[in-house]
Amino acid sequence: MTLKIRTLGKHYGSTPVFANVSLEVAPGEFVAIVGESGVGKSTLLNCMAGLDHWDQGTVLLEGVDLGTQSEDQRALLRREKVGFVFQAFHVLPHLDVLQNVALPLLLLGQHNTERVQAMLEAVGLGALGARLPQQLSGGQLQRVAIARALVHQPRLLLADEPTGNLDPGTAALVLQALVQQCRSHQAALVLVTHSVAATERADRVLHLGSNGLRPA
Amino acid sequence: MHQRLPSPLWPLLKSFSWQELRHHPWRSAAALVAVMLGVALAFSVHLINASALDEFAQALRSVGGQADLELHSRAAHGTLDERVLGQLRQHPDVERASPLLELSTYALPDAADPGAKRVPLRVLGVDALQVAALAPDLMPLPDAAGGDERDGGGGQDLRLALFAPDTVFLNAAARQALGTRRVQLQQGLQLRAAAVAGSVRASGSPLAVMDIAAAQDFFGKGGQLTRVDIRLRPGADRAAALRSLQSDPLWQPNWSLSQPGDANARLGNLSRAYRVNLTVLALIALFTGGFLVFSVLALSVTRRAQQLALLGVLGLTGRQRLRLVLLEAGALGLVGSALGLALGTALAALALRLLGGDLGGGYFSGVAPPLQWSAAAALVFAALGVATALVGAWWPARLAEALPPAQTLKGLGALQPPQHSAWAGPALLLAGALLALAPPLWGMPLGAYLGVALVLVGGIACLPWLVGQVLDRLAPRLQQRLLPLLAVERARRVRHSAAVAVSGVVAALSLAVALTVMVSSFRTSVSRWLDTVLPATLYVRSAGAEASALAYFDPAFVQAASQLPGVLRVSAQRSLPLNLDPARPAVALLVRSLQGDATGVPGLPLVGQTLPVPAGHMGIYVSEAMVDLYGARVGADFAPLQQAFAGSLQPGAPAPVFFVAGIWRDYARQFGTIAMDSADYAQLSSDRRVNDLAFWLQPEARTEDVEQALRTLADQQTGGAGQLLEFGSATQIRATTLKIFDRSFAVTYWLQAVAVGIGLFGIAASFSAQVLARRKEFGLLAHLGLTRRQILRLVAAEGAAWTSLGALAGVALGLAVAVVLVHVVNPQSFHWSMELSLPWLRLLALAGAVVVAGTLTARLAGQAAAGQDAVMAVKEDW
Repeated sequence: MTLKIRTLGKHYGSTPVFANVSLEVAPGEFVAIVGESGVGKSTLLNCMAGLDHWDQGTVLLEGVDLGTQSEDQRALLRREKVGFVFQAFHVLPHLDVLQNVALPLLLLGQHNTERVQAMLEAVGLGALGARLPQQLSGGQLQRVAIARALVHQPRLLLADEPTGNLDPGTAALVLQALVQQCRSHQAALVLVTHSVAATERADRVLHLGSNGLRPA
Repeated sequence: MHQRLPSPLWPLLKSFSWQELRHHPWRSAAALVAVMLGVALAFSVHLINASALDEFAQALRSVGGQADLELHSRAAHGTLDERVLGQLRQHPDVERASPLLELSTYALPDAADPGAKRVPLRVLGVDALQVAALAPDLMPLPDAAGGDERDGGGGQDLRLALFAPDTVFLNAAARQALGTRRVQLQQGLQLRAAAVAGSVRASGSPLAVMDIAAAQDFFGKGGQLTRVDIRLRPGADRAAALRSLQSDPLWQPNWSLSQPGDANARLGNLSRAYRVNLTVLALIALFTGGFLVFSVLALSVTRRAQQLALLGVLGLTGRQRLRLVLLEAGALGLVGSALGLALGTALAALALRLLGGDLGGGYFSGVAPPLQWSAAAALVFAALGVATALVGAWWPARLAEALPPAQTLKGLGALQPPQHSAWAGPALLLAGALLALAPPLWGMPLGAYLGVALVLVGGIACLPWLVGQVLDRLAPRLQQRLLPLLAVERARRVRHSAAVAVSGVVAALSLAVALTVMVSSFRTSVSRWLDTVLPATLYVRSAGAEASALAYFDPAFVQAASQLPGVLRVSAQRSLPLNLDPARPAVALLVRSLQGDATGVPGLPLVGQTLPVPAGHMGIYVSEAMVDLYGARVGADFAPLQQAFAGSLQPGAPAPVFFVAGIWRDYARQFGTIAMDSADYAQLSSDRRVNDLAFWLQPEARTEDVEQALRTLADQQTGGAGQLLEFGSATQIRATTLKIFDRSFAVTYWLQAVAVGIGLFGIAASFSAQVLARRKEFGLLAHLGLTRRQILRLVAAEGAAWTSLGALAGVALGLAVAVVLVHVVNPQSFHWSMELSLPWLRLLALAGAVVVAGTLTARLAGQAAAGQDAVMAVKEDW
């Protein structure tokens, strides 16, 4: 299993966010998580990546218990095995498209222009490598984010409402690129969404409620 | 129909802006304190100087009286023959002519007190029958005048005391210093007792009034006057009377008629350069305070970018956003200025009480003036404070004006300042350089000061270009290294923001560097100058130039002193004041041996070339001030001195022609010095008195023994005048001079510390603003696997890169400003030159400390950015 979560629970002070969350995600599997706003979907994604702390349960990423890792060890694990796509794109405005996509490789100390270029070709942006983010549309920016999330061939890709800021047509194109690239890289994909179109393409759709994840 | 809407700015200031102040009171307080301190310092310096100047002017008026014209002598001996009174009184335009004999000497309180110290004292001999009409404050008031009404016989005695010999009437300062019974007045190396018979109302430094005949007798000045106050007949035209008096056949060429107001002007001239330079120095705090206002408001605008964008979406125009930020700055400036005026007033009152009116220049020593508060000056300094705040706020206000509301609301892109012309910086630098070459205006280096300001602003305007040049060359080398790549690419893309962030450091460091170099250059030059002017081992002085006519060594004493055991050689010097121009302070004439060789004249720090004196000429060496103020030139004759000696020549003797053989540097006297050979002076004057003796001692001689022998000699020759000698070894004089120098310039180190502190606070505020704007960026990097330590390193690396560039620019600009201060401001203000001396180690330490402090500041500012907060920032939608 790429990701294994057992009875995870988290509180903000005395207020419970979620409890009893268990989940297993296999390599290449696409899991969609839905739920009402404020139920803790993004927080759960952060826990999966070791970016947030939890109060109960365990999170195993590629067999490594994140709860036993130091902050630096989690960062190194994330650097190697996790990719992220956000609703708000989050590309660095001062780097061009090529430099943005190459970031995860640079973090790993790798310099592989060919792979970066190949990723850009794969998401349909092969000719735009020298552009700055301000010169791209929303859909193009999200495809840059997808290329960046997958360029270092992570085992797990976490996507937080990646089509939330896009029109339906562009959203469909971006989603297709995301799923296709995950499949071809055999990366597990956990996607938080409110989009019915997105859930339709998932292998499993789960609903996050106060008592954990249940099939939607 | 279109209806004009009320301005939303005031309600927004009360709600939107007030909330920002409430949430970050300390940040606004820092800007407020910066303005307050700048205004307080500058206003207190102004108040102290204005109060002292006013007190001096009042003292001058009370001594000068209400004459229409004053007659002086420009002769080297400085006196008029009293027969001039007869001439004046016969002139049809003259109603009254009141003679005065003004002398400077020293006084001791009482013969019974052996430990008493000499007090410098002005003695005025007046005609008691005339002085009441022309200078009522000099009218002697017998002490028991109040009781005379009851005792008619005693009152007459007291009135006769006005004309009694050996009797003085003291002003308040003299009575306080010398008592009210008897005083001893110095003449030569002797003390003569005089009775204190009453007082005079004249204010200012210690002053004694005597009957003029009694004064002439007392000091051996029979038939001599130093001034005649003239009252013209009612209806007489002053200019016509002046012309008529000067065209009289008996008029002497070295007489000088002036109007009483000239003395005030002379006093103003005397201290103007000092006052202006001190005020400019004080304004440095306000200048750097402007950068703090800038940093705080830049941070505030960045923090509120999305709120301002929302206001924009809701209908607040860009112009209104600009005005809102300027209003916030104006409010800060107004409150800061008001507090600054209050603090400045309190500081000035305290300083006047504790230090008197003298802030270290020595121009106003000896007075304790009351505070002269001026509403007009307060308004000017308050306006300066507000203007500084507004100038500091201009860039953040333009940022707020230019922000694109929709993009900013989405969180896309950083705030970008409006672009300026690429030529603005170089053009300002060029204009600054040209202004620095401008001649002085009203005797002040106003062009140079403006030039310095333009060089600083122009240099800072060039920073984006400098950042671009450096980083464009650096960037290709860093493509493979993540942290440097992120740091450099960001700085390249937002070079204006980078430049703005370090501008405070650049301004502060450049001022610190400029002051350090200027002070170091001055100190090094003074130190070298002391090496030259103090060639002997021991120095003995009877009086400074002012009191040289009365406190002196006679030739017999000098001769005997040269014979004392342990003395190898003695060199004597006479110094006396010379009034060459009624509108200027007196020039010092130094009479001493000028026998030198090809390498120069011993004891005279010459600058530039020297020329041999042509036959039939008398060679003189003039100080640099004589070149600036009187147009003296090497190789040219100097006519004004000829007039000074015109009246003292033997009948039929040819008039002397004075040839300027060289120019020398005189840090002791700012208004001109002429050095003349004693042999030449002996031809022109029968005066053989001297004031200073320099002793070269035999190798085995002890300084203390020679000092004691000189005291004993003085006691033997004059009956107990050994206590009137002032001794100083070359080492002591040198150490004392440099100690006084260091104390005088200590304030510049504090100003540097304040400036650098403000610059660093500015960098902290700028980095906080940048980090705040980049929380999402740091959040993303955390998601990608960058550790917290790496993010902190990134921020620290950016801090190091930016402050290094800032330090580089600051040192370069500081050196440019230092060149202007050393080679333009100082010569134009004080009429002396100095060599540029660069204390490289101190400059490197200063720049290094700023880089380290800037890096640490940036790292601290980054602490918050790399925390959990940043991780959550990627979810922020606005």
